[in-house]
Amino acid sequence: MSREQRAEEGREQRAEEGREQRAEEGREHRAEAGRDLLVAVDIGGTFTDITLQSAATGAAWTAKTPSTPHDPSEAFITGVSLALAQAGCSAADVGRVLHGTTVATNLILEGKTAPTALLTTQGFRHVLEIGRADLPRRDNLWSWVKPKRPVPPGLVFEVGGRIGADGTELAPLDEAAVRAAAEAAVAAGAKAIAICFLHSFTNPAHERRALELVRQAAPGLAATASCDVLPVVREYERSMATVLNAAVMPAVTTYVQRLEQRLAAAGIAAPLLLMKSNGGVAGAASIRQAPAQTALSGPAAGVVGALAMAREAGVADIITVDIGGTSADICCIAGGQVGLTQTGRVGPWPLPLPMLDMVTIGAGGGSIARIVGGALTVGPQSAGAAPGPACYGRGGTEPTVTDAHLVLGHLTPSLLGGRMTLDAALAAEAVQRIAGPLGLSLEAAARGILAIADNNMVGAIRVVSVERGHDPRGFALVPFGGAGPLHGCALAGLLGMTRVLVPPSPGVLCAQGLLAADLKAEFSRTIALPLGQAEPARLAASFEALVAEASAWFEAEAVRPQDRRTQRVALMRYEEQGHELAVPFSADLDALATAFAAAHEALYGFTLTGIGMEIVTLRLEATGLLPAPAMPRPGEGSAASAMLGTQPMLLPEGEVQAPIYQRALLGAGERVAGPAILVQLDATTLVQPGWSAEVLASGAVLLTRDGA
Amino acid sequence: MTCDPVTLEIIRGAARAAQAEMEALLERTAMSAFIREKKDFYTAIFDADGAMAVGSDLPIFGDIVGPVARHFPLETMRPGDLYWYNDCYGSRGAVSHSNDQVFLAPVFLKEARVGFVMGWAHFSDIGGLRPGSLSPDASDHFQEGIIIPPVRLQRGGETNTDLLRAFWRNSRFPNQSQGDTRALMAAVRLGEKRVEEIAGRFGAAVLADAFAQLLARTEATVRAKLCAAFPVGTTRFNDAIDSDGHGNGPFVLRLALTRTPDDRFILDATATDDQAPGPVNLLMHPDVPGMALGLYFLQGEPGQVLNAGGPRAIDEVKLREGSLLWPRSPAPLGLRGLTMMRLLAALHGLVAVARGGEAPAAHSAYVILAMRGEHKGKRFLMTDGVGVGYGARPFADGTDAVYFVAQENYPAEFMELGYPVRIREYAMHLDSGGAGQFRGGCGVVREYEVLAESAVMAVRIDSVVNPPWGVAGGMNGGSGRCVLNPGTPGERLLPPLSDGTALKRGDVVRLQTGGGGGWGHPFDRAPELVLADVQGGFTSPEAAARDYGVMIRDGAVDATATAALRSARPAAGLFHRREYADHVA
Repeated sequence: MSREQRAEEGREQRAEEGREQRAEEGREHRAEAGRDLLVAVDIGGTFTDITLQSAATGAAWTAKTPSTPHDPSEAFITGVSLALAQAGCSAADVGRVLHGTTVATNLILEGKTAPTALLTTQGFRHVLEIGRADLPRRDNLWSWVKPKRPVPPGLVFEVGGRIGADGTELAPLDEAAVRAAAEAAVAAGAKAIAICFLHSFTNPAHERRALELVRQAAPGLAATASCDVLPVVREYERSMATVLNAAVMPAVTTYVQRLEQRLAAAGIAAPLLLMKSNGGVAGAASIRQAPAQTALSGPAAGVVGALAMAREAGVADIITVDIGGTSADICCIAGGQVGLTQTGRVGPWPLPLPMLDMVTIGAGGGSIARIVGGALTVGPQSAGAAPGPACYGRGGTEPTVTDAHLVLGHLTPSLLGGRMTLDAALAAEAVQRIAGPLGLSLEAAARGILAIADNNMVGAIRVVSVERGHDPRGFALVPFGGAGPLHGCALAGLLGMTRVLVPPSPGVLCAQGLLAADLKAEFSRTIALPLGQAEPARLAASFEALVAEASAWFEAEAVRPQDRRTQRVALMRYEEQGHELAVPFSADLDALATAFAAAHEALYGFTLTGIGMEIVTLRLEATGLLPAPAMPRPGEGSAASAMLGTQPMLLPEGEVQAPIYQRALLGAGERVAGPAILVQLDATTLVQPGWSAEVLASGAVLLTRDGA
Repeated sequence: MTCDPVTLEIIRGAARAAQAEMEALLERTAMSAFIREKKDFYTAIFDADGAMAVGSDLPIFGDIVGPVARHFPLETMRPGDLYWYNDCYGSRGAVSHSNDQVFLAPVFLKEARVGFVMGWAHFSDIGGLRPGSLSPDASDHFQEGIIIPPVRLQRGGETNTDLLRAFWRNSRFPNQSQGDTRALMAAVRLGEKRVEEIAGRFGAAVLADAFAQLLARTEATVRAKLCAAFPVGTTRFNDAIDSDGHGNGPFVLRLALTRTPDDRFILDATATDDQAPGPVNLLMHPDVPGMALGLYFLQGEPGQVLNAGGPRAIDEVKLREGSLLWPRSPAPLGLRGLTMMRLLAALHGLVAVARGGEAPAAHSAYVILAMRGEHKGKRFLMTDGVGVGYGARPFADGTDAVYFVAQENYPAEFMELGYPVRIREYAMHLDSGGAGQFRGGCGVVREYEVLAESAVMAVRIDSVVNPPWGVAGGMNGGSGRCVLNPGTPGERLLPPLSDGTALKRGDVVRLQTGGGGGWGHPFDRAPELVLADVQGGFTSPEAAARDYGVMIRDGAVDATATAALRSARPAAGLFHRREYADHVA
C-alpha cells in the first residue's frame, strides 16, 4: 500500500467518524421536526449541486460533487449522501427529493433519442418529413437544409381507419395493420413506438385501441399515444410531440428507475419529484409516462425559484433573466402569475406541451465576439465550459462576454471563493483581436461586446413583456445564473426599469425553485365552440370531466384534500383567428366576453366589433400545494466590515477605484452606492454608477436607480 | 455623425427585434387563414428617404415608398400618418398582385422624419372575378379585385374609416378583411414606435448613418460576389413558363447579364416574350432582380441584411414594355407567382452558366388549389397553398415540400375542421425529386374528397411541359398534375392552369406537385443514400436502377448489380431538361 493510499484511507475513516457523530445530532433534530428535510438535486455539465433544507427552520446546507455523465445517478446519490452527512442528518429525515433533469432535453438536442417508430393514419406517412412545409423566416431559402427528423420515414407505418373532424368513426381501425406495424418496428430495431392518428384529440378510441394492441404485440417497448401526450389540433405538431415523448421514454424511464433504486439503497424512502416545463413538479411515475414534459425542466426551476424569492422580498411583477454560459432564458411574471404557452420549441422541433412562457437566446458569459462581414457580432457561438472564455486560461483565444467584463474591471480576478483565477492579460489579448480590425480601443471593444450582448437580451425581454401586453418599466428585473447579476443594471437601464432584484444565491436559484415548487398538471379539452352557441350547462359538464381527471391525478400524487387547488381557464379567440388567449373562466358568458375583449385590447391594442368570439379549449390547471420551506435570513454585518478592498474599473467617464464587498457579510438594511462589486461564491453583482444597492430583510439585494 | 461598428450592430439587432415583434402581432391577431396559418406577410424598415434598410428575406420587393411619395410629398408627411396601397400598375410593380396590401408609416423623432415602417400582407379576398380574387380565368387586371392607389388612411392618428368601409364592402369575406386590416395597422404602429425608440436612443444622425452603412455593406457584399461569379462579358440564360391558362405559351424569359470591363452590371431582359393574355404577367419592379440575386449571394452572411443594397449592386436593369416582365395595363397579373418562381430559377441559371454548374438547380413554382362554394348555407373559400420541391445544391439535397419563404401549409386537421373537405392523403410525390449526386427536393401528393354539395375549383401548376432543370449532371425534377376522380371511369386529367372545374359531393381531387432539379451526376450519389430514399418513399426502386444505377433487392443494395449498372455511366451535360444540354429554353 502506497503512502497516498494510506493517507486516503485515513481521510475516509475520519470522514466516517464525523458523519456518525453528526448523524447522532441529526436524529435529535428529527425527533423535533420529523421527516421535514427537503433535498434538491441540480445536475450540471460539470458539477452536481445538492441543497438540503429543513422545512421547519429554513436551515440549509449545500454540497457540490463532480457530475458523472456516464451515469448521472452516481453523482446524484454521492452528493445527497455528502449533503446529509454535512447536515448531520440521516436518510430517514428526508421528506421529499426534488430534481430538475435535462436528460430528455439533451437527448433531443443532441439527436440521441431511442430508435422510435410512428404509427400514423393511412396516407400520412410523411407527416414528419413535410411538417409545416416551411423554412424559418430568418433563414436563407437557398442555403437552409432541412433538419433530420427524429424518426426516419422508414420507421413510419401507416394504419387504416379514420376518425372524422367531428369525432365520428369513418372507417374502423385496421387492427391487423397495427399488429403488423408493431412487429415490423421491433424487427427494425425500434425501442419505442409513438401513435398519432388524425382527430384523436376529438375521439381517442382508435389510438387507445392501437396502444393496447402495440403493448400486446411489442411488450416491453416504450409506447405512447398522442391523446395522452397532447390532445390538441394540428397533426404535425402533435405527432412530433408524441414521437419525442416516446423517443426519450426508454432513457428517462431507466434514469428515473436508477435514481429510485439508488435512493432506496441509501435508505431514503421519500418520494422523488421531478420538475416539469410548466413550473410544477410531478411524481416519478407520471414523468415516466410523459417524459417530454420535462423538456424545459431546468430553466423552469430557475423561474420558480425567482418567483419564490421575489415573493419573499414583496415584489409581484418581475422579469427574470437567467444568464448561463451559452444562453439566456427570459420570463415575465406579472402579479405573481407565470403564463403558460403551448407554442414552445426544443431545438428545431415544435413541442406544444404547456410550458412556462419563456424565451431563450444564444447570449451568455461564454458567447464569442467575432467580426462577420465587417460587423461585430456576439454569439450564438459559445466557448462553453471547454475551452471557456480566454481568461480561464484553458486554451480559449476568442473574446467572450466574460473576457469583456474582466477587461473593464467588472469581475474580480478570483471566482468561486478563490477556487478559480481569471487571467486579465489573456482576456485583454483576446478582446484586442477584434479591437484592432475595428479600429477601436481595447476598452471600447470590450464595452461594445457587452452592449451588443445586452441589446440582444433586451430584444428578448421585449418579446416576453411588451408583446404580452406588459410595460417592463413597472417591473423589477431579476438577474440570476452565474453571469446574470453582472448585466442587471445595464439591461434595466436600457429598458427604462428602475429596480433590479438580485437573489441571495443567484447561481443556485434552480435548487431554490425545486424546493419551492408545487405539484402541477393541466387538463384540457378542445371544444371549438362559438361563444354564442355555448351553453353554460355543457361547459360545466366539460369542466366536470376535467375535474374528474384532476381528482384522479391528485389521488395518484397523494395530495391531501386541503392542499388541492384548481383554476378554470378558457382559451378564446375571435372567430377565425389562429391564436387563443387564456382568460380566467366565468360561467357568466357576458363576463367571459368582456374579459376576453379586455385581454385582447391589453395585448394587441385593439378589439373587433361585430365579430363573434370562440371558446377553443377549456383548461383546468391543478395545483397540489407542497409546504414551502422558510427562507434563510441575512446576517448583520456592516458595509464597512464587508468591504474587501478596491479594484480599478473602467467607466465611460474614466477609470475609478471600485470597492469590492463580500456579499455574505452584508447585513440587512446595509446600503452600497455604485460603482461597486459584490462578490459571493456563486456570482458577482455589478452595481453601476448611478445605482445603489440595499440588502433586504429577505436576503435579496435591491438595486435602485438613483433619482427614480 | 457616423455610427460606430458596435452601435451599427445594436441598431441592426434592434431593427430585427422590431420586425419580430410586428410579425408576432400580425400572426396572432390576423383573421384570414392566409395570414395566420399560411403566414403570407412581411415587414421592412426604411431610411428617411424611403430606401429599404432592413427587409425580409423575400426577393420580391420593389421600391415601396416611392409610389406613396409621388402622391404625398415626403415633406408633407406628419407623425401619425399611415399610407396604404395595392396598386400594381400605379406602383410600377412595387406590389405585383392586388391581394398584397402595403401599409406604410413614416417615423418621426421630434418632428424630423427618420424612417418608414412597412407591414405587408396578402388579403384573402378583395373582390374581383372569383372568390379569392385570383383566377387563371382573369383576362383584365380589373377582374382581380379592388385597386387602392396610394392613399392616406390615417392623418395625425385620425383614421379615414370611410375608406376602410368601402374596401371591406368589396370583399366577399368582410369580417376577415376587417380583422386583417386592424392587425396590419396595429403591427405598423408597433414598428413605428420601435423605430422611434431606436432613433431616440442613438439620435437621428447616427440612425441615418447606420441605415446608410447597412445599405452600403449589402451592396458591397453582393457586388463582390457578383464579380467573383461572373466574368467580364455577357452571360445568358433562358427559361420558360408553360402557359397562361388561356391556351397560350410557352413564354420564354431571356436574361443577359453583362459585366463591363469597369465592373458595372447590366441585366437585360428585353428579349423576353411578349405579355400574356392570361394572368401570368409579372410586372417586375427593376429592383427585383437585385433583391433576388442579393438573397442568393447573402447565403452564409448572417451579419448582413437583405435590403435596397442588393438592387444597387446591379447598375442597370433593362426591360421592354409590352413584355411578360413589363406588361401594359390592364393585362392581368394575379398568378405572377409562377413567372416569379421561374425568374428566380433563371437567375440561378445565369450563375450556373458563369460558374460551370456551381449553383442551385431549378425549383417548381408553388401550387395553389382553390375551392369555393356553399356549404350548409355558408359561403366558403378554401385557398390551399401547396409545397413543391426545391433544387438540389452543390452542398446538399434540395428541400422537400416547401412553399416559399416562411409560409406554412394548412394542417389536414385544420382543413377538415374549417372547410367541407377530407384530406385522404398528404405525402411525398414519389420520384419527383430530380436525380443527382444531390437529389432535388420532392413535391407532395395531396388528395381531397369534396364534402360540400358543390364547389368550383381553380388550380395552378406550372413546369409541367418545362420541368425544373437539373444542373452539373443532375436531372430535371418531376412535374405536377391534378386528376379528378383517379382510378374511376370518370377519371379526368385537369389542365394544370385552370379555373371553373365543377365539383360535387364525393368527388376526389388528387393533386401532385412538382419537384426540384438534381445537382451532380446521379451515379455519384452513394448507394446507401439511394437506398434510404427508396425506403423513405422518395425514390422508387425502378428510378434507383434507371437514374442512379443502384439495384435494390430485398431492402438492401445489390452491390454486384449496382457495379454493373454503374459501369455504363451516361455522359452528362451542364443542364438537364428531359435530356442533357447546354441550355434549356
